[in-house]
Amino acid sequence: MRIPSIIPIFGICLLLAAGPGVARCATAAPAGAAALFDSLERTAGGVNTLASDFVQEKHLGMFKTVLNSKGRFYFGKPDRLRWELTSPVASGFVLTGEKGRRWHERSGRTESFQISQEPVMKLVSDQLFAWARADFGWLKREYKISVLSESPAALRLEPRSSAAAGFLSHLLISFSADGRYVKTVEVHEKDGDFTRIKFLNTAVNKPLKANLF
Amino acid sequence: MTPPSFQLFERLYRYLSRHRKPLYAATLLMVALGLFATSKARIQEDIVAMLPDDGSGVAKDFQLLQLAPFTRKIVITLKAQGAGDTAALTAAADSLAQALTSAGAGRVMTGPAELSGGLFGWLGSRLPSLATEADLSELARATTGPEVQRRLRQSYEQLLSPEGWALKGSIQSDPLSFSALALEKMRFLNMIPNMRLVDNHFLSADGKSALIVVDSAVAMTDSGGSRELLAGIDRAVAASVPAGMSASVLSGHRYTLVNADTIKRDLFVVLIVSALSVLAIYLIFLRSLSAFFVFLIPTSILVIASGAIAFWQGNIFAVTLGFGGVLLGIADEYAMLIYFYCRQGGKDAGTITAEVARPVLFGAAATLISFGVMLMSSLPGQRQLALYSMTGIVAAVLISLIVLPHLIKPAPQEKPAFGNLDWGWRLPRRAVLGTWLVILAICGWQATKIRFNGDLRAVSMVTPELRQAEKELTRTWGDMRDKALVFAEGKDLESALRLNDRLFARLSGRLPAGQLVSLAPLLPSDLLQKENAERWTEFWGDGRLRQLSLDLAGEGEALGFSKDAFAPFLANLSAPPPAATLEGLREAGMGELVESLIIRTPGNVRVLTLVPDTPQVVAALSKDLKTLPGVHLVSQSRFGDSVGQAIIRDFTRYMGITSLLVLVLVIALFRKPSRIMLVLVPVATGLICMLGIMGMLGLEFNIFNIAATILIIGICVDYGIFMVCRLSEASDPAANRSVLVSGLTTLAGLGALALARHPSMQSIGITVLLGVGAGIPAALLVIPALCKKESP
Repeated sequence: MRIPSIIPIFGICLLLAAGPGVARCATAAPAGAAALFDSLERTAGGVNTLASDFVQEKHLGMFKTVLNSKGRFYFGKPDRLRWELTSPVASGFVLTGEKGRRWHERSGRTESFQISQEPVMKLVSDQLFAWARADFGWLKREYKISVLSESPAALRLEPRSSAAAGFLSHLLISFSADGRYVKTVEVHEKDGDFTRIKFLNTAVNKPLKANLF
Repeated sequence: MTPPSFQLFERLYRYLSRHRKPLYAATLLMVALGLFATSKARIQEDIVAMLPDDGSGVAKDFQLLQLAPFTRKIVITLKAQGAGDTAALTAAADSLAQALTSAGAGRVMTGPAELSGGLFGWLGSRLPSLATEADLSELARATTGPEVQRRLRQSYEQLLSPEGWALKGSIQSDPLSFSALALEKMRFLNMIPNMRLVDNHFLSADGKSALIVVDSAVAMTDSGGSRELLAGIDRAVAASVPAGMSASVLSGHRYTLVNADTIKRDLFVVLIVSALSVLAIYLIFLRSLSAFFVFLIPTSILVIASGAIAFWQGNIFAVTLGFGGVLLGIADEYAMLIYFYCRQGGKDAGTITAEVARPVLFGAAATLISFGVMLMSSLPGQRQLALYSMTGIVAAVLISLIVLPHLIKPAPQEKPAFGNLDWGWRLPRRAVLGTWLVILAICGWQATKIRFNGDLRAVSMVTPELRQAEKELTRTWGDMRDKALVFAEGKDLESALRLNDRLFARLSGRLPAGQLVSLAPLLPSDLLQKENAERWTEFWGDGRLRQLSLDLAGEGEALGFSKDAFAPFLANLSAPPPAATLEGLREAGMGELVESLIIRTPGNVRVLTLVPDTPQVVAALSKDLKTLPGVHLVSQSRFGDSVGQAIIRDFTRYMGITSLLVLVLVIALFRKPSRIMLVLVPVATGLICMLGIMGMLGLEFNIFNIAATILIIGICVDYGIFMVCRLSEASDPAANRSVLVSGLTTLAGLGALALARHPSMQSIGITVLLGVGAGIPAALLVIPALCKKESP
């Protein structure tokens, strides 16, 4: 199932966006999950930009070794996002509202697209921006979220829709000790494959160059 | 020539003069029965009246045109006034769709069925059964060493990207993107040229409009149902379309309703105006209480004719009733003649009746012949109109000759009621004939300019709003409704699909995917699928699969893929190919689209292909497809031409037969060539002037002008007969008066029709107004002028 398998990325990005909130609620040490989510939602309003390096490990059955890649991630409120792979091949995409642009080192081409015309990217952007706005109402409709640890915060997300549950087992999100940013995201699929992304050098609310988007 | 006396009517008069009460009672009973039958009739306002029902090619074409995918559906364009906020637009479309469903409008679609991943999987897995020779050539290129390397690397890089998360499954099952070949075939199913899919909604290319399609159970020809349906849709639009957006609704129902409303309004206006005008003429010219009975005759025959049609056929076409105004105007000719002769007095009413019966019956015979020829028409509306008129004329003749003489008393003095109407004689003969010849010459010349318009839309009411909505629809969505249709017909689906395969093979070389909509690439016949599958198996044999396996292993190794990463893919290439079936397409979410291209009737299946409806394409295909038995091309534009040709053919035939029969009648009645020519003066003048003035004014000749032309022959021949009969019987002002007054009432009836807004009624009104308007002075002025020479 091609389209629903895009869902894991949303968890990753928006948990990054929600990092500061998590940090705050970790220090506030709320008693229940609902309080934790409320806190995340409230504090996400203070996040204007995010910038982070990432390392991606793909543990896929069709590869004999782990597939490693690395890159950079940027988010600018309210609707700008850049996902950039730097190794082993330079490629990526930028989203600004409804419009998008993607590029690839090998082809040397950059192409524009409308999110609404590309179902996969549409799903990506819808969920990315929902997370960026910390819309926990929406997230709770999509996932069953359980708190694995409050300090440092760690969440387990299980898809509610049967379509997504057909291939996606769950997401594991863990945060740094001080709770200021997401440290790792793991996307576990039904067939046992999983992808782990480690976010490094995360900067919150630092000015982003305009030409990034 | 001694005037023959029709003694039967004299004897009948004398007999009935002793039984007047039963006579009047029987007449009233007939009218009452007519009224009762009319009250039970269903008035039919749709286009059925104007469509051939003779099973001819034209009739079949019309039926087939109704099978086009969007012809039967209600198409709603929801438009945002500002720049495209697609999310708001799709939300508004969903909201409107919900409101329409709640209103019971029918099955509402805002986009295709939910495709999810099913369609892509289905396409990929069915490639072996769908792949053509050209596809295999492409596969041969895709399986060369360098291409395998390029494609595999591309898949590898996709796996690293965010989209890769979504593509893992398809990369594993198709690492070299072979299924793109099958996906390409989807381009042949794009029915809406300017449409793109956004969130599974039909949106326009500029993102400002959303398309909503409603499949209603209400027949397009049902005006009552259409009224309720459109009212429900309008309410849903008003309740759910947000500010800043507008919705335009187009469907055959809208046309039906506009036509029905216009015809109803026209019927009211025409019948009221013609009745009042005829009454006014009577009051002005007849000035007698007994004139009231003359007025009652056409009024009564309207009721009798309508009742007879209602009794025989159940339904009365609205256009037939509209024609009542004309009948009201022409049916009083006979009553008028009786009236003037009886008022003139000098003889007893029985003798007068016997004498007047001759011109009355001769005239009625000519008119009946004219209408009788229309019974051969393939248009039910024209046939009913003929039957209606013939019934009315027979009733008018019978009442005029049998009942009316008992009701008219001789005038107390010889002086005519409205001065001396015999003024035509006193005009200078040369001036009359000179003017007549000049007019004939000019009109004869202008008549060559007249253009025929056989398009049914020319006689259908289209408001400026509807025309604008049609233009807007085409501008927004492209040419989605005006496609030419090509049907591949078979006794079952398989035989129709086989023919469709052959059809596609012909068309695909001529037309690109954007212009050609065909099911053949996605659903070939079982036979062709078997051939494709055999070719596929053969393609992968002969070491090609082994080589691909080695290349994949080598390139995959370099990229880190496991040894058996592509085992399922390679196994599928050599597995028995699964067939592409209708059920499979349905399950993949394509049911709606596919079903719109497969039309089933008992014992027959048609597979539909859409091509551009341009003269070039249609002309070329018409010729080319003749060699494919079972394939039938139907084009809206060519249909208009076909109807036009059929009309011209019918017109020539009717004109020829009517002219011949009327001529035979006139020859039989008048024998002497000079008298025959005189009788024909009004009809020839009427026809030439009518055609000439229409040509001069740039008016087109349409399907209803034909009915009107035949009417002109019938009416004007009457005038000729009345006038020439008068000449035979020495100077008799009664004939003059009756021609003038009945001519005026005819013009009053027809003038009222010209007030109609519906093109069909207006066509009849204007045409006959011109023809009869010219025929009357020709009868009153030219015949006497010509007669001076002819008379000893």
